[in-house]
Amino acid sequence: MEGSWKVFIMAAAAAAAGGVPSQQCFLLSVTGQVESARLAGADQLYCRYQLHGGPDWDIVTGLEEGISQVSRPSQDARQLLVWNLPVEVSYKATNPYGWPQLIVSCYGPDLFGNDVIRGYGVSHLPTAAGAHRVTLPLFVPESTSQLQKLVSWFTGRRPELADASSLATGDGRDVMRVRSQGYVTCSFQVVTKDLQRLGYDNGRRAPAGAAGGDLQPAGGGDGRPG
Amino acid sequence: MVRGKDSSSAEVHFIGQIVSGSGFSDSQLFCRWSIQTGGAWHHVEGLKEGQTHADCPQLGQAAIWCHPVDVHYTIKGITGWPKLVVQVYSLDGFGRFDICGYGFCNLPSSPGAHSIDCVIWRPTGSLRDEFRQQFVGGGPQLRDPQLVYTSLDRYRIQTTAMGTVHVQISVILRNFARYGIEY
Repeated sequence: MEGSWKVFIMAAAAAAAGGVPSQQCFLLSVTGQVESARLAGADQLYCRYQLHGGPDWDIVTGLEEGISQVSRPSQDARQLLVWNLPVEVSYKATNPYGWPQLIVSCYGPDLFGNDVIRGYGVSHLPTAAGAHRVTLPLFVPESTSQLQKLVSWFTGRRPELADASSLATGDGRDVMRVRSQGYVTCSFQVVTKDLQRLGYDNGRRAPAGAAGGDLQPAGGGDGRPG
Repeated sequence: MVRGKDSSSAEVHFIGQIVSGSGFSDSQLFCRWSIQTGGAWHHVEGLKEGQTHADCPQLGQAAIWCHPVDVHYTIKGITGWPKLVVQVYSLDGFGRFDICGYGFCNLPSSPGAHSIDCVIWRPTGSLRDEFRQQFVGGGPQLRDPQLVYTSLDRYRIQTTAMGTVHVQISVILRNFARYGIEY
Protein backbone atom coordinates (compact mmCIF):
# COMPACT_ATOMS: atom_id res chain seq x y z
CA MET A 1 0.00 0.00 0.00
CA GLU A 2 2.79 2.39 0.95
CA GLY A 3 4.76 1.34 -2.13
CA SER A 4 1.93 2.22 -4.49
CA TRP A 5 1.62 5.68 -2.93
CA LYS A 6 5.32 6.26 -3.58
CA VAL A 7 4.95 5.24 -7.23
CA PHE A 8 1.97 7.57 -7.61
CA ILE A 9 3.87 10.55 -6.14
CA MET A 10 6.92 9.94 -8.32
CA ALA A 11 4.82 9.66 -11.45
CA ALA A 12 2.99 12.87 -10.58
CA ALA A 13 6.29 14.64 -10.02
CA ALA A 14 7.63 13.42 -13.35
CA ALA A 15 4.50 14.53 -15.16
CA ALA A 16 4.65 17.94 -13.51
CA ALA A 17 8.33 18.33 -14.32
CA GLY A 18 7.84 18.87 -18.02
CA GLY A 19 6.59 15.82 -19.78
CA VAL A 20 9.89 14.55 -21.20
CA PRO A 21 10.12 10.83 -20.62
CA SER A 22 12.67 10.15 -17.94
CA GLN A 23 14.50 7.62 -20.09
CA GLN A 24 15.75 10.48 -22.30
CA CYS A 25 17.04 12.62 -19.43
CA PHE A 26 20.20 12.47 -17.46
CA LEU A 27 20.69 14.01 -14.03
CA LEU A 28 23.54 16.14 -12.76
CA SER A 29 23.86 16.68 -9.03
CA VAL A 30 26.45 19.12 -7.75
CA THR A 31 27.25 19.66 -4.10
CA GLY A 32 29.87 22.27 -3.59
CA GLN A 33 30.89 25.53 -2.08
CA VAL A 34 32.35 28.87 -2.93
CA GLU A 35 35.27 28.51 -0.57
CA SER A 36 37.40 31.59 -0.52
CA ALA A 37 38.89 34.43 -2.51
CA ARG A 38 42.17 36.24 -2.76
CA LEU A 39 41.98 39.81 -3.93
CA ALA A 40 44.72 42.34 -3.15
CA GLY A 41 43.46 45.54 -1.59
CA ALA A 42 40.04 44.19 -0.64
CA ASP A 43 39.20 44.89 2.96
CA GLN A 44 35.69 43.43 3.03
CA LEU A 45 34.07 41.30 0.38
CA TYR A 46 30.84 39.41 -0.11
CA CYS A 47 29.92 37.34 -3.08
CA ARG A 48 26.80 36.43 -4.99
CA TYR A 49 26.63 33.29 -7.11
CA GLN A 50 24.30 32.50 -10.01
CA LEU A 51 23.90 29.30 -11.97
CA HIS A 52 23.04 29.56 -15.65
CA GLY A 53 22.06 26.53 -17.73
CA GLY A 54 21.06 26.16 -21.35
CA PRO A 55 17.49 25.78 -22.67
CA ASP A 56 17.55 22.00 -22.26
CA TRP A 57 18.43 22.13 -18.60
CA ASP A 58 15.95 22.29 -15.73
CA ILE A 59 16.66 22.64 -12.05
CA VAL A 60 15.18 19.80 -10.05
CA THR A 61 16.27 20.84 -6.57
CA GLY A 62 18.46 23.57 -5.19
CA LEU A 63 18.79 27.30 -5.51
CA GLU A 64 19.94 29.10 -8.61
CA GLU A 65 21.28 32.09 -6.69
CA GLY A 66 22.78 32.84 -3.35
CA ILE A 67 24.52 35.59 -1.40
CA SER A 68 27.28 35.07 1.11
CA GLN A 69 28.20 36.79 4.33
CA VAL A 70 30.65 39.70 4.40
CA SER A 71 34.16 38.45 4.99
CA ARG A 72 37.39 40.14 6.03
CA PRO A 73 40.84 38.91 5.00
CA SER A 74 42.82 36.76 7.37
CA GLN A 75 45.58 38.37 9.38
CA ASP A 76 48.32 36.05 8.16
CA ALA A 77 50.39 36.11 5.00
CA ARG A 78 47.67 34.32 2.98
CA GLN A 79 45.27 37.30 3.13
CA LEU A 80 42.45 34.90 2.36
CA LEU A 81 38.78 35.93 2.36
CA VAL A 82 36.74 32.89 3.37
CA TRP A 83 33.04 32.49 2.60
CA ASN A 84 32.42 28.72 2.77
CA LEU A 85 29.12 29.35 0.91
CA PRO A 86 27.26 26.13 0.01
CA VAL A 87 26.17 25.61 -3.59
CA GLU A 88 23.84 22.64 -3.96
CA VAL A 89 21.85 22.02 -7.08
CA SER A 90 20.46 19.15 -9.16
CA TYR A 91 19.67 19.45 -12.84
CA LYS A 92 17.70 17.34 -15.25
CA ALA A 93 18.77 17.66 -18.89
CA THR A 94 18.31 16.11 -22.30
CA ASN A 95 21.44 17.52 -23.91
CA PRO A 96 24.94 18.39 -22.67
CA TYR A 97 24.78 21.59 -24.71
CA GLY A 98 24.23 24.43 -22.27
CA TRP A 99 26.09 22.70 -19.44
CA PRO A 100 25.48 24.94 -16.41
CA GLN A 101 27.94 27.63 -15.50
CA LEU A 102 28.64 29.19 -12.13
CA ILE A 103 28.95 32.98 -12.14
CA VAL A 104 30.40 34.60 -9.04
CA SER A 105 30.15 38.36 -8.44
CA CYS A 106 32.21 39.84 -5.62
CA TYR A 107 31.19 43.14 -4.04
CA GLY A 108 32.89 45.29 -1.44
CA PRO A 109 32.88 48.85 -0.12
CA ASP A 110 35.00 51.53 -1.76
CA LEU A 111 36.71 54.42 0.02
CA PHE A 112 33.42 56.24 0.63
CA GLY A 113 31.50 53.20 1.82
CA ASN A 114 29.53 52.52 -1.37
CA ASP A 115 28.99 48.90 -2.39
CA VAL A 116 30.86 48.43 -5.66
CA ILE A 117 31.63 45.46 -7.84
CA ARG A 118 35.09 44.05 -7.26
CA GLY A 119 35.18 41.18 -9.73
CA TYR A 120 33.28 38.63 -11.76
CA GLY A 121 34.30 35.04 -12.25
CA VAL A 122 32.69 32.44 -14.47
CA SER A 123 33.29 28.74 -14.98
CA HIS A 124 31.42 25.65 -16.18
CA LEU A 125 30.39 23.14 -13.55
CA PRO A 126 32.60 20.06 -13.86
CA THR A 127 31.48 17.72 -16.64
CA ALA A 128 32.63 14.52 -14.98
CA ALA A 129 31.65 12.90 -11.72
CA GLY A 130 34.09 13.15 -8.86
CA ALA A 131 35.74 15.74 -6.66
CA HIS A 132 36.91 18.93 -8.35
CA ARG A 133 38.61 22.10 -7.26
CA VAL A 134 38.04 25.04 -9.58
CA THR A 135 39.77 28.42 -9.61
CA LEU A 136 37.84 31.33 -11.09
CA PRO A 137 40.03 34.31 -12.02
CA LEU A 138 38.26 37.60 -11.33
CA PHE A 139 37.85 40.52 -13.70
CA VAL A 140 35.96 43.79 -13.34
CA PRO A 141 34.67 46.10 -16.11
CA GLU A 142 36.61 49.30 -16.67
CA SER A 143 35.39 52.76 -17.53
CA THR A 144 35.87 53.76 -21.13
CA SER A 145 37.64 57.05 -20.44
CA GLN A 146 39.75 58.59 -17.72
CA LEU A 147 37.09 61.23 -17.04
CA GLN A 148 34.42 58.62 -16.51
CA LYS A 149 36.79 56.71 -14.28
CA LEU A 150 37.24 59.78 -12.08
CA VAL A 151 33.53 60.50 -11.94
CA SER A 152 32.68 56.92 -11.04
CA TRP A 153 35.33 56.95 -8.32
CA PHE A 154 33.74 60.02 -6.74
CA THR A 155 30.09 59.03 -7.11
CA GLY A 156 30.63 55.37 -6.22
CA ARG A 157 28.83 54.18 -9.35
CA ARG A 158 31.38 51.90 -10.96
CA PRO A 159 30.67 50.22 -14.29
CA GLU A 160 29.02 46.87 -13.67
CA LEU A 161 27.07 44.33 -15.70
CA ALA A 162 23.31 44.78 -15.78
CA ASP A 163 22.92 41.01 -15.72
CA ALA A 164 25.86 38.94 -14.60
CA SER A 165 24.47 35.81 -16.25
CA SER A 166 25.24 37.37 -19.65
CA LEU A 167 28.82 36.27 -18.94
CA ALA A 168 27.67 32.70 -19.47
CA THR A 169 26.62 33.23 -23.07
CA GLY A 170 29.70 35.08 -24.24
CA ASP A 171 27.60 37.59 -26.15
CA GLY A 172 28.53 41.23 -26.05
CA ARG A 173 31.92 40.57 -24.56
CA ASP A 174 33.69 42.15 -27.48
CA VAL A 175 32.68 45.63 -26.35
CA MET A 176 33.85 45.16 -22.79
CA ARG A 177 37.15 46.30 -21.38
CA VAL A 178 38.12 44.79 -18.07
CA ARG A 179 41.00 44.58 -15.65
CA SER A 180 41.73 41.34 -13.90
CA GLN A 181 43.04 40.71 -10.44
CA GLY A 182 42.53 38.02 -7.85
CA TYR A 183 40.68 34.74 -7.92
CA VAL A 184 37.93 32.73 -6.21
CA THR A 185 38.36 29.08 -5.27
CA CYS A 186 35.40 26.69 -5.39
CA SER A 187 35.16 22.98 -4.77
CA PHE A 188 32.52 20.60 -6.13
CA GLN A 189 31.46 17.02 -5.66
CA VAL A 190 29.65 15.90 -8.80
CA VAL A 191 27.39 12.90 -9.32
CA THR A 192 25.72 12.11 -12.64
CA LYS A 193 23.04 9.60 -13.49
CA ASP A 194 22.17 7.98 -16.82
CA LEU A 195 24.78 9.83 -18.85
CA GLN A 196 26.38 6.56 -19.90
CA ARG A 197 23.06 4.83 -20.41
CA LEU A 198 22.16 7.49 -23.00
CA GLY A 199 25.40 6.79 -24.83
CA TYR A 200 27.50 9.71 -23.54
CA ASP A 201 31.12 9.29 -22.54
CA ASN A 202 32.60 12.13 -20.51
CA GLY A 203 35.83 10.49 -19.54
CA ARG A 204 35.23 10.50 -15.77
CA ARG A 205 38.88 11.37 -15.39
CA ALA A 206 40.65 14.05 -13.35
CA PRO A 207 41.18 17.42 -15.03
CA ALA A 208 44.55 17.43 -16.80
CA GLY A 209 45.73 20.81 -15.53
CA ALA A 210 44.99 24.03 -13.67
CA ALA A 211 43.07 27.15 -14.63
CA GLY A 212 44.85 30.14 -16.09
CA GLY A 213 48.44 30.69 -17.15
CA ASP A 214 50.19 32.14 -14.15
CA LEU A 215 47.49 31.29 -11.63
CA GLN A 216 47.58 27.96 -9.89
CA PRO A 217 44.80 26.68 -7.61
CA ALA A 218 45.64 26.09 -3.99
CA GLY A 219 45.13 22.33 -4.32
CA GLY A 220 45.58 19.93 -7.20
CA GLY A 221 42.63 18.73 -9.27
CA ASP A 222 41.13 15.62 -7.78
CA GLY A 223 39.09 13.02 -9.54
CA ARG A 224 38.42 9.38 -9.71
CA PRO A 225 41.44 7.32 -10.63
CA GLY A 226 41.63 6.82 -14.39
CA MET B 1 15.39 21.50 -28.41
CA VAL B 2 17.53 21.89 -31.47
CA ARG B 3 18.94 18.51 -32.43
CA GLY B 4 18.63 15.87 -35.11
CA LYS B 5 15.65 13.64 -34.57
CA ASP B 6 17.86 10.61 -34.98
CA SER B 7 19.28 10.30 -31.49
CA SER B 8 21.58 7.48 -32.50
CA SER B 9 24.09 9.49 -34.55
CA ALA B 10 27.62 10.01 -33.31
CA GLU B 11 27.80 13.35 -31.51
CA VAL B 12 30.56 15.42 -29.97
CA HIS B 13 30.26 18.21 -27.39
CA PHE B 14 33.07 20.65 -26.62
CA ILE B 15 32.39 22.50 -23.38
CA GLY B 16 34.95 24.81 -21.83
CA GLN B 17 36.61 28.19 -21.80
CA ILE B 18 39.33 30.22 -23.45
CA VAL B 19 40.83 31.03 -20.09
CA SER B 20 43.76 33.40 -20.51
CA GLY B 21 46.73 34.55 -22.52
CA SER B 22 50.18 34.83 -20.98
CA GLY B 23 53.66 35.74 -22.08
CA PHE B 24 52.70 38.68 -24.27
CA SER B 25 54.65 41.90 -24.04
CA ASP B 26 51.54 44.04 -24.54
CA SER B 27 48.77 44.63 -22.04
CA GLN B 28 45.08 45.10 -22.95
CA LEU B 29 44.71 41.95 -25.01
CA PHE B 30 41.67 40.36 -26.58
CA CYS B 31 41.26 37.24 -28.65
CA ARG B 32 39.19 36.34 -31.71
CA TRP B 33 38.55 32.62 -31.90
CA SER B 34 36.86 30.26 -34.30
CA ILE B 35 36.46 26.50 -34.68
CA GLN B 36 37.31 24.96 -38.06
CA THR B 37 36.16 21.43 -38.92
CA GLY B 38 36.25 19.07 -41.85
CA GLY B 39 33.36 18.30 -44.17
CA ALA B 40 32.07 15.30 -42.23
CA TRP B 41 31.16 17.49 -39.24
CA HIS B 42 27.70 19.00 -39.00
CA HIS B 43 27.30 21.91 -36.60
CA VAL B 44 24.14 21.54 -34.51
CA GLU B 45 24.20 24.29 -31.89
CA GLY B 46 26.51 26.68 -30.11
CA LEU B 47 28.67 29.55 -31.30
CA LYS B 48 31.55 28.52 -33.57
CA GLU B 49 33.35 31.83 -33.30
CA GLY B 50 33.52 34.83 -31.09
CA GLN B 51 35.58 37.58 -29.60
CA THR B 52 36.59 37.95 -25.98
CA HIS B 53 36.66 41.12 -23.95
CA ALA B 54 39.88 43.14 -23.71
CA ASP B 55 41.66 42.57 -20.43
CA CYS B 56 44.35 44.65 -18.79
CA PRO B 57 45.96 42.51 -16.10
CA GLN B 58 47.07 44.14 -12.87
CA LEU B 59 50.26 42.87 -11.23
CA GLY B 60 51.61 41.60 -14.54
CA GLN B 61 49.63 38.37 -14.66
CA ALA B 62 48.06 36.64 -17.62
CA ALA B 63 45.27 38.44 -19.47
CA ILE B 64 42.07 36.77 -18.21
CA TRP B 65 39.30 36.12 -20.72
CA CYS B 66 37.29 33.14 -19.35
CA HIS B 67 35.27 33.13 -22.56
CA PRO B 68 32.77 30.21 -22.68
CA VAL B 69 32.95 27.73 -25.55
CA ASP B 70 30.02 25.31 -25.90
CA VAL B 71 29.60 23.64 -29.31
CA HIS B 72 27.66 20.57 -30.40
CA TYR B 73 28.46 18.61 -33.58
CA THR B 74 27.18 15.44 -35.20
CA ILE B 75 29.67 13.59 -37.35
CA LYS B 76 29.50 11.29 -40.34
CA GLY B 77 33.21 10.49 -40.42
CA ILE B 78 36.23 10.79 -38.17
CA THR B 79 38.29 13.01 -40.49
CA GLY B 80 38.57 16.73 -40.01
CA TRP B 81 38.63 16.80 -36.22
CA PRO B 82 38.06 20.42 -35.14
CA LYS B 83 40.78 22.96 -34.62
CA LEU B 84 40.50 26.05 -32.46
CA VAL B 85 42.01 29.00 -34.35
CA VAL B 86 42.85 32.12 -32.34
CA GLN B 87 44.04 35.58 -33.21
CA VAL B 88 45.28 37.72 -30.35
CA TYR B 89 45.03 41.50 -30.63
CA SER B 90 46.30 44.27 -28.40
CA LEU B 91 44.42 47.47 -27.68
CA ASP B 92 46.20 50.73 -27.04
CA GLY B 93 45.15 53.80 -25.10
CA PHE B 94 43.63 55.43 -28.17
CA GLY B 95 41.31 52.51 -28.88
CA ARG B 96 43.29 51.19 -31.85
CA PHE B 97 43.94 47.48 -32.05
CA ASP B 98 46.86 45.69 -33.61
CA ILE B 99 47.47 42.03 -34.28
CA CYS B 100 49.56 40.40 -31.61
CA GLY B 101 49.74 36.91 -33.00
CA TYR B 102 48.06 33.91 -34.55
CA GLY B 103 47.84 30.32 -33.44
CA PHE B 104 45.77 27.18 -33.56
CA CYS B 105 45.38 24.05 -31.48
CA ASN B 106 43.64 20.74 -32.07
CA LEU B 107 40.64 20.12 -29.88
CA PRO B 108 41.04 16.93 -27.86
CA SER B 109 39.71 13.69 -29.30
CA SER B 110 39.37 11.84 -26.01
CA PRO B 111 36.57 12.45 -23.53
CA GLY B 112 37.18 14.30 -20.30
CA ALA B 113 38.63 17.59 -19.17
CA HIS B 114 41.76 18.86 -20.92
CA SER B 115 44.05 21.85 -20.47
CA ILE B 116 45.58 22.99 -23.75
CA ASP B 117 48.27 25.59 -24.42
CA CYS B 118 48.05 27.22 -27.81
CA VAL B 119 51.35 28.75 -28.95
CA ILE B 120 51.08 32.11 -30.67
CA TRP B 121 53.36 33.53 -33.37
CA ARG B 122 53.46 36.78 -35.28
CA PRO B 123 54.72 37.37 -38.82
CA THR B 124 57.76 39.64 -38.98
CA GLY B 125 58.83 41.93 -41.77
CA SER B 126 62.16 43.49 -42.55
CA LEU B 127 64.27 45.34 -39.99
CA ARG B 128 62.75 48.60 -41.17
CA ASP B 129 59.23 47.20 -40.64
CA GLU B 130 60.13 46.13 -37.12
CA PHE B 131 61.54 49.54 -36.33
CA ARG B 132 58.44 51.25 -37.66
CA GLN B 133 56.16 48.91 -35.74
CA GLN B 134 57.96 49.72 -32.53
CA PHE B 135 57.17 53.42 -32.82
CA VAL B 136 54.10 53.77 -35.01
CA GLY B 137 52.44 50.36 -34.77
CA GLY B 138 50.80 48.32 -37.50
CA GLY B 139 53.07 45.43 -38.36
CA PRO B 140 52.62 42.79 -41.08
CA GLN B 141 49.42 40.75 -40.99
CA LEU B 142 48.43 37.57 -42.79
CA ARG B 143 46.48 38.21 -45.95
CA ASP B 144 44.87 34.78 -45.82
CA PRO B 145 43.90 33.71 -42.28
CA GLN B 146 43.63 30.09 -43.46
CA LEU B 147 47.41 29.93 -43.32
CA VAL B 148 47.13 29.67 -39.54
CA TYR B 149 45.64 26.17 -39.59
CA THR B 150 46.89 24.82 -42.94
CA SER B 151 50.40 23.93 -43.95
CA LEU B 152 50.34 25.30 -47.49
CA ASP B 153 52.55 28.28 -48.32
CA ARG B 154 54.03 28.42 -44.84
CA TYR B 155 57.52 28.48 -46.29
CA ARG B 156 56.94 32.00 -47.56
CA ILE B 157 56.72 33.74 -44.19
CA GLN B 158 59.03 34.54 -41.32
CA THR B 159 57.63 34.64 -37.84
CA THR B 160 58.57 35.32 -34.27
CA ALA B 161 57.15 33.71 -31.16
CA MET B 162 54.72 35.55 -28.93
CA GLY B 163 52.92 34.26 -25.85
CA THR B 164 50.54 31.37 -25.15
CA VAL B 165 46.76 31.11 -25.02
CA HIS B 166 45.42 28.73 -22.37
CA VAL B 167 42.25 26.81 -23.12
CA GLN B 168 40.29 24.38 -20.95
CA ILE B 169 37.98 22.10 -22.87
CA SER B 170 35.87 19.14 -21.75
CA VAL B 171 34.91 16.67 -24.44
CA ILE B 172 31.77 14.54 -24.29
CA LEU B 173 31.32 11.90 -26.98
CA ARG B 174 28.11 10.08 -27.77
CA ASN B 175 27.49 6.73 -29.49
CA PHE B 176 31.10 6.38 -30.65
CA ALA B 177 31.27 2.76 -29.54
CA ARG B 178 28.16 1.93 -31.56
CA TYR B 179 29.91 3.04 -34.74
CA GLY B 180 33.12 1.26 -33.90
CA ILE B 181 35.14 4.43 -33.36
CA GLU B 182 38.03 3.83 -30.99
CA TYR B 183 39.35 6.75 -28.97
